[in-house]
Amino acid sequence: MRIQVTRTGGLAGRTQRAGLDTADRSDAPHVHALAREAVAGGLRAPSYGVPDGFHYEITVDGRTVYCADPKLTDSQHELVSLVLREGTAQPVQRGLAGGN
Amino acid sequence: MRPVAHYCTIIPPYVLDQLAEQGHEPAQRSLALDLAHRAARLQAIAPTPPAHHLTRTIRDAHHLQQAPGKPVRLEGRPPARDGSVNRAYDGLGATFALYENIYSRNSIDGNWLPLDATIHYGQHYDNAFWDGSQMVFGDGDNVIFTDFTASVDVIGHELTHGVTQYTAALDYHDQPGALNESVSDVFGSLVKQYALGQSAAAADWLIGAGLLAHGVQGVALRSMKAPGTAYDDPRLGKDPQPAHLNDYVDTSDDQGGVHINSGIPNHAFYLLATALGGNAWERAGQIWYDTLTGGRLTHDADFTAFAKATVAAAKARYQDESVANTVTAAWSQVGISTT
Ligand SMILES: [Zn+2]
Repeated sequence: MRIQVTRTGGLAGRTQRAGLDTADRSDAPHVHALAREAVAGGLRAPSYGVPDGFHYEITVDGRTVYCADPKLTDSQHELVSLVLREGTAQPVQRGLAGGN
Repeated sequence: MRPVAHYCTIIPPYVLDQLAEQGHEPAQRSLALDLAHRAARLQAIAPTPPAHHLTRTIRDAHHLQQAPGKPVRLEGRPPARDGSVNRAYDGLGATFALYENIYSRNSIDGNWLPLDATIHYGQHYDNAFWDGSQMVFGDGDNVIFTDFTASVDVIGHELTHGVTQYTAALDYHDQPGALNESVSDVFGSLVKQYALGQSAAAADWLIGAGLLAHGVQGVALRSMKAPGTAYDDPRLGKDPQPAHLNDYVDTSDDQGGVHINSGIPNHAFYLLATALGGNAWERAGQIWYDTLTGGRLTHDADFTAFAKATVAAAKARYQDESVANTVTAAWSQVGISTT
């Protein structure tokens, strides 16, 4: 399973993106379950969130959902933390339209 | 039969009464809901009106990503051992003081809203935000950011999102969003300047000084004096803020670059405050405050509409024409015409 997380916004307005492939992970079943729950609880379009809140875009095997602080489900929270912490950081081209 | 319950807010109660009497179930449900709402409203109104003074409560989330948490310092209580508690407490106080003493605004909502903050939110959480009713501070990851209670201007910034929410309610995307952000930076910086007694000339005009972790190449999150120069670091990248409309950044990230393009109105405010001289919270701050709270700004105002509103506010407040002319000149220097 390929999981990509993009986090935008925040007080600093900084965009971070990371990707993770579960193929080589010993905890793959856990991450798969987490990813399925996170996607099931996500929105199909970006939400407003709160001023300076983080906005997240989660893509799992090509399907993208959105969520925003402070209203993440537990599995969304765990998944985005895991991917941003342990995934491979991906370049973000700032200032370009269609920033994903 | 049509689902009357869905229209309960627009159908007159007497019609609902009649339908309910005739055994119409959705109407009966709707009436029951109406009664419940009315009871809830009465209950909500019943508690004593807010005390007419500053009322702060700092709570500790203990690294869970859940607000509000357990109270750790109430209004008037002595400092706690935890520096984050006291910095949050003092920052809420400094923000209240600027709005109360300078603009005669009774707290964030103008009606003595108690000021609440949650600290130690989440683990290594790299952010602070206003959740619509209170402040939330993370501890930072200590790689890029430190404790978000470190900067009093950041606290002023967040609480000003509350002021904007209760007043002009600027949309949080694209140009109105960049203005929403800029207004928070302006009053955030003024909170700091007022607390330190600094003139416009002496102020650093930085947002989030002291927030960058040790080793990060930079001085703050943003610079109103020189947008685009706050940091340039291998991990954090380069400060992307423009200082002129010609360099406006079109992006879909960050709600249309609200934290990026805020550099343009930020710089206009800096130019105005330093051109007028003296303390920035006096004439420049008053003009911005009048613009934000005057009731004429629409929620979808763009840079030009906002700029024109500041010129009108300057004319309304100050007989001396040179003040409004200085406002016009400041906007013109960032590429925005008010004529
Ligand atoms: Zn903000």
